[in-house]
Amino acid sequence: MRRSVLVTLLMTLCAGTAGAENVTTPIPIGIGLAQTSNVALLGEEQVVGAKIAEMYFNANGGINGTPFKLIFQDTGGDEAGAINSFQNLINRDKVVGIVGPTLSQQAFSADPVANRAKVPVIGPSNTAKGIPQIGEYIARISAPVAIVAPNAVKQALKEHPGIKKVAVLYAQNDAFNTSESGTFQETVKKMGLQIATLQKFMTTDTDFTSQVTAVLGANVDLAIISGLSADGGNLVKQLRQLGYKGPIIGGNGLNTVNIFPVCGQYCDGILIAQAYSPSADPKNAINAAMASEYRAKYKKEPPQFTAQAFTAVQVFVEALRKVEAVTKKKITQLDLAKVREELNKQILTGSYITPLGKISLDQEGEIHQENFYVAKIKMDANGKTGKYIYVK
Amino acid sequence: MTTAQFIQNVLNGVSIGSVYAIFALGYTLVFSILGIINFAHGAVFTLGAYFTYTLAVGQFGINGLLSGLNLDLQVPFALSLLIGAVLAGLVGVLLERLAFKPLRTRGADSLLALVSSLGVALVIVNAIQYLVGAEIYTFPSQVYGDIKPAIMFEVSGQPVVVRTVQVIIFAVCMVILTLLGYVISFTRIGKALQAVAENQTTASLLGISVDRIILVTFFMSGFLGGLAGTLVGTSFGIAGPYFGVTYGLKGLAVIVLGGLGSIPGAVLGGIVIGLAEAFVPPDYSAYKEAVAFAFLFIVLLVRPQGLLGRSLSQKV
Amino acid sequence: MNDFLQNNGFLIVTMVQQALLAMSLYYPLMSGQLSLASPGFYALGGYVAAIIGTVEFFAPWRDTLGWVIFPLEWLAAGIISGFLAVLVGIPALRLRGIYLALATIAFVEILRVICLNLEITGGAIGIFGVPQLFESRWSYIWTFGPLLILMLFFSYRLDHSRVGRAFKAIREDELAADAMGINPTRYKVLAFVIGAVLAGVVGAMSAPFLNTWNARQGTFDASIAYLAYVLIGGSRSMWGPLLGGTLLAALPEILRPLKDSRLIINGLVLVFSSIYMPQGIAGALGHLRSFTARTLGFVRSEK
Repeated sequence: MRRSVLVTLLMTLCAGTAGAENVTTPIPIGIGLAQTSNVALLGEEQVVGAKIAEMYFNANGGINGTPFKLIFQDTGGDEAGAINSFQNLINRDKVVGIVGPTLSQQAFSADPVANRAKVPVIGPSNTAKGIPQIGEYIARISAPVAIVAPNAVKQALKEHPGIKKVAVLYAQNDAFNTSESGTFQETVKKMGLQIATLQKFMTTDTDFTSQVTAVLGANVDLAIISGLSADGGNLVKQLRQLGYKGPIIGGNGLNTVNIFPVCGQYCDGILIAQAYSPSADPKNAINAAMASEYRAKYKKEPPQFTAQAFTAVQVFVEALRKVEAVTKKKITQLDLAKVREELNKQILTGSYITPLGKISLDQEGEIHQENFYVAKIKMDANGKTGKYIYVK
Repeated sequence: MTTAQFIQNVLNGVSIGSVYAIFALGYTLVFSILGIINFAHGAVFTLGAYFTYTLAVGQFGINGLLSGLNLDLQVPFALSLLIGAVLAGLVGVLLERLAFKPLRTRGADSLLALVSSLGVALVIVNAIQYLVGAEIYTFPSQVYGDIKPAIMFEVSGQPVVVRTVQVIIFAVCMVILTLLGYVISFTRIGKALQAVAENQTTASLLGISVDRIILVTFFMSGFLGGLAGTLVGTSFGIAGPYFGVTYGLKGLAVIVLGGLGSIPGAVLGGIVIGLAEAFVPPDYSAYKEAVAFAFLFIVLLVRPQGLLGRSLSQKV
Repeated sequence: MNDFLQNNGFLIVTMVQQALLAMSLYYPLMSGQLSLASPGFYALGGYVAAIIGTVEFFAPWRDTLGWVIFPLEWLAAGIISGFLAVLVGIPALRLRGIYLALATIAFVEILRVICLNLEITGGAIGIFGVPQLFESRWSYIWTFGPLLILMLFFSYRLDHSRVGRAFKAIREDELAADAMGINPTRYKVLAFVIGAVLAGVVGAMSAPFLNTWNARQGTFDASIAYLAYVLIGGSRSMWGPLLGGTLLAALPEILRPLKDSRLIINGLVLVFSSIYMPQGIAGALGHLRSFTARTLGFVRSEK
């Protein structure tokens, strides 16, 4: 009896101390991405994009004069690491919002935690079905590229009207590639073509001889690949080396110059479904600025992951500016819980001109993106550098 | 299945099998002498590839401490390969001194060696990432000279293909196997290795410096690992610091199937598993990953000494 | 106080969870078997809970039973794990030492690939939106905590029981134990099953804790992590896995301020503790205790 009174007393004491706290300056935005483990292959590109955004927007006035700061907490490659990272950002670093995590699987684990803490999250690369539906504080700016896949197939048909038999290959251990391939397969069937062979592989695979020989054996006119840069690049290289001469469509995972070192000269001619293009729309000023910043530092074209991370930070920055406009107060004068709440509201309204083109978010947190591109890779004579030439 | 398809599957199987085999050689060498599995082998394998890359190409990317580094050393590939493998061998020796020897001198449980080697693997892989980031690096396509990328021939009218670099890996694997066999059976140091593998106490009583033999073993294992890493890197590219570690697990299946401690067994095991994976029907390709481990499980139940290992006797 | 729980609640519960998984390795080890099969049963248990929690078929059960569905999930996970353990254990446990370890590693991998490819387990994506028993992560201490206390109590009783002595006899010398009338297979399978059931139940408790479940929960890396917990914590007493699990699970998080080099330090810790503390932390503490006792002149009777 006495013990329960003590417990209740203790709990009220604890509850009582959770008072209002202000947002610190510089305004902290959390970045929870994979900086270690083998997922860092993707996470590193995102970190670069976030850092460019930090420099760019702070140089352009920050949040109406107040600078902001990115706080990085490594999620590692697994679910528990993502939860730890998010909790550190939310409770210890007291961020106003979080960009991350890298993998959809990590998002399913960590996003509910942020949602319950009422902290807005923007996923820069989570493309699995069901992510924005996790909660009202969860949004994403990585488009489920289901929309652009059919365009790539149409383009291939335009260039090679005789296509009848298609080979579809995808990385079955990756959520994004599995669902993207599903869309490709539906498109192919709808266009009256035949899937002569369906091959699966893992993103960690390096040898694709059996898949390639199956493709060659089926005598296909078109190959569609949904994978990531290392596996996708190797698959293309091995397809070409072993004699496949037909057109190849690469899914969104191959939309990165990081496949160039892998497939070299063999990358030439691949049609890619893009959710991001560094140069397709020369009128996109912010894309031009980001891309030139990236090129100056790294001497190559920015990959999609980088652009998406940049965009995620941009959405936070612009939404924070809107919060100040709407509440007519400075962020630093507002209580942290209130900022998070208002920020979430503002993220979901209005549209943004980002490196991805014009985007907007709906009330569920799903992205609506206007510009998708189909591009063709053109390699230079040295086999090391190349470009994505916008086709449609 | 047509003859052409059959031959194609065999070629595919032997191709990937040689990769497994060449990884397993260094792996099984350590087991044959010390009776422990060196989990850091995958990390040394990776390190060898990175060493060779640094010498032959030397262009690093945008992440890590050494970002933007461009060492245009342009060391010829064959020399880079050799130096890279030697460096990997030295890392193997260092690994032995720092992580295994102290455990031996204290008479610790051999399981602790597993944990220790795992710690070393973690250190090496993360050090690589810290220094050069996790990007993909590839060797220039003409490292082996001006050869065609694939060899194609016809069997009863149907084309059968194999990538040249895989043929090279297979050839190197066979050469190493022969060389190792010769060294172990016909040279003094080889016989000393056999003696230490048989019984360390007796060997030392016969005047063999067990310590030195163990050092030699780890050097050889690291050398082979580094060599293998580079060769595999030329075939598939270096997909980040973890690219070798992923072979470590399948490598276990390979060396058990072949017979723990048997060097020809490692090669045979690798090729058998490669063939088994190649013959999995396309509809079940999702389960290819499990083939190696199904083999491992069955072999352990039915014939734990593997294909070429010595029969295990019950110690009374 | 509330802040501390907010900040570190998840970590503390994870520490308890990892200690439990270390214990699931400890029971087979008690009878001298190096089984690395725990992650397989852990993954299986998690899938059982996630499937019962999300699949249409069980919806009426969920509605009528309310929160009782959770203990039911644990029970189901435990039973299925136990059953599978008997099935796998009887043939596999004829192996000894490193060969048994390898067989269990193979088992875990096969299970992982199967789960990666079945419809019901959600394939590569896994199962998400697992229903929650509690809102905050810290509250899960009320499931893992009592389980830990229960298992510690169970281990204590086991230590002093006939079964426990049989395990130790088998660990010391299987042939001699057999000659004395202890059926090694029966006891080894029993130890294996206890470990498997524990891992399965922890898995079932963990699926709601992590909000999602997928094939990456049961991998070889996890096997080695649990092995490290037991070896570094100490494999001779039940406190070993507890110490090893809690400390090593917390280590990457404690090292967080070191940012990029934290996993390097983590690796170094593994190397150094295996070299300088071969009896594990529990063993080292035991030495320290007897050393202190001797130095301070207390007379202690050895058990």
